[in-house]
Amino acid sequence: MELDFSPVLDSAQFLLHGLELTLALSALSMLCSLAAGGAIGLARCYGPQWLRWPLVFYIDSMRSIPVFVVLVWTYFALPIVTGVVLPPFWAALVALSAHIAAYVAEIVRAGVSSIRPGQTRAAFALGMSRAQTIREIVLPQALVRMLPAFGSILSITIKDTAIAAVIAVPEYMNRSQTVAGQSFHPIEIFMVAMVVYFLILFPVTRIVDMVYVRLAHLGRS
Amino acid sequence: MNFDWSVVWRNADALVEGTKLTILLAVTTMAIAIPGGIVLALMRLSGVRALSAASASFVELFRNLPLILVIYTAYYVMPVATGLSLPPIITGIVALALNVSAYNSETFRAGIASIRQGQSDAAFALGMSRWQATYEIVLPQAVRRVLPVLASTWVSLFKDTSLVSVISVGELAFTSMRIRSQTFRVLEMLTAMALIYWMLGYPQAKFVDWLNRRFGISE
Repeated sequence: MELDFSPVLDSAQFLLHGLELTLALSALSMLCSLAAGGAIGLARCYGPQWLRWPLVFYIDSMRSIPVFVVLVWTYFALPIVTGVVLPPFWAALVALSAHIAAYVAEIVRAGVSSIRPGQTRAAFALGMSRAQTIREIVLPQALVRMLPAFGSILSITIKDTAIAAVIAVPEYMNRSQTVAGQSFHPIEIFMVAMVVYFLILFPVTRIVDMVYVRLAHLGRS
Repeated sequence: MNFDWSVVWRNADALVEGTKLTILLAVTTMAIAIPGGIVLALMRLSGVRALSAASASFVELFRNLPLILVIYTAYYVMPVATGLSLPPIITGIVALALNVSAYNSETFRAGIASIRQGQSDAAFALGMSRWQATYEIVLPQAVRRVLPVLASTWVSLFKDTSLVSVISVGELAFTSMRIRSQTFRVLEMLTAMALIYWMLGYPQAKFVDWLNRRFGISE
């Protein structure tokens, strides 16, 4: 089998723009998921009773629907309901954030509930308020414990942005398909794509693990 | 806005067929990926450098690639590599199995490694043979730790089968998208697709939560 990588070089600029979009979509989705998921997770743990079951229902529903389905539904069906047509990039951002926020919420809940109740009781005994206890005692320890899980969420987010190619977000996966279709060298294009994604994703998990090893002692109680 | 939900009932047969194929894809992939994961984990723990490195590279590679890219690559590479024109469903199963085997391998490796050396030492001290120690002491404990993780992987796999729709495997997602473009009932069909996945996936997610509570290790 003869491999010819010249189509990759010819389209380098085009592919690089796709890579920028992949990174931008990953970063924005991660930030929105953390914000939304953090709020949902904390509301589930500390919010009013009536709010809990709708949140649990949302989290479990998002966990049971494929991200592919959430993406195509947001892009094709949501405009029919709301009348607002989102460009592919923003539709992908909304869909990915809505999906991944559910996983973040689960991590937040697991992290918070892993802090022994004795910690909260000790804080109350010292005269701390509920808000103070959560902010100064529970969350700092819980955040450290959540760190490795957030690392896997980051890597899942980057991998999920590739699925946004199906709603024509011109990110790296989508652009690779375009170049593959035009150049008749799909194998070389996709091999390069594998290398590119691996080079992004492999360090992410490694760096998060390294940071966690440094910080793990702060989460012990 | 007028909706015509009857399109869902009129195409119920196609949707049922698609759902069956989705389940078949998940079952077949898992049936390949469990032995695949065991082999990879044994290679990793074998102590033979070359085997261990080969397994580690395989696992790290497939855990760090988007599945949709593996599916596309398999779609283009497999016909060239094998010289056969394979039906898309085979390509889809191969891509899914590569991905899930890598995850299963890590699950088995962690499961076996989580049983402390002291457990088998104690079994030997009680006069058990190596075989007895493995089958009566180590494996029963390892299974309890592996089972909940395997179940979560199953739920992910079940959802990930929707991605093989991009290479036209006629499973649930592909069938719904096809009916959508034939009938132009976009909202109805996509909502039906989401609801079917939800009905199938929700009990699974709840079952996994139960397994984790039942078997999970808490600090």
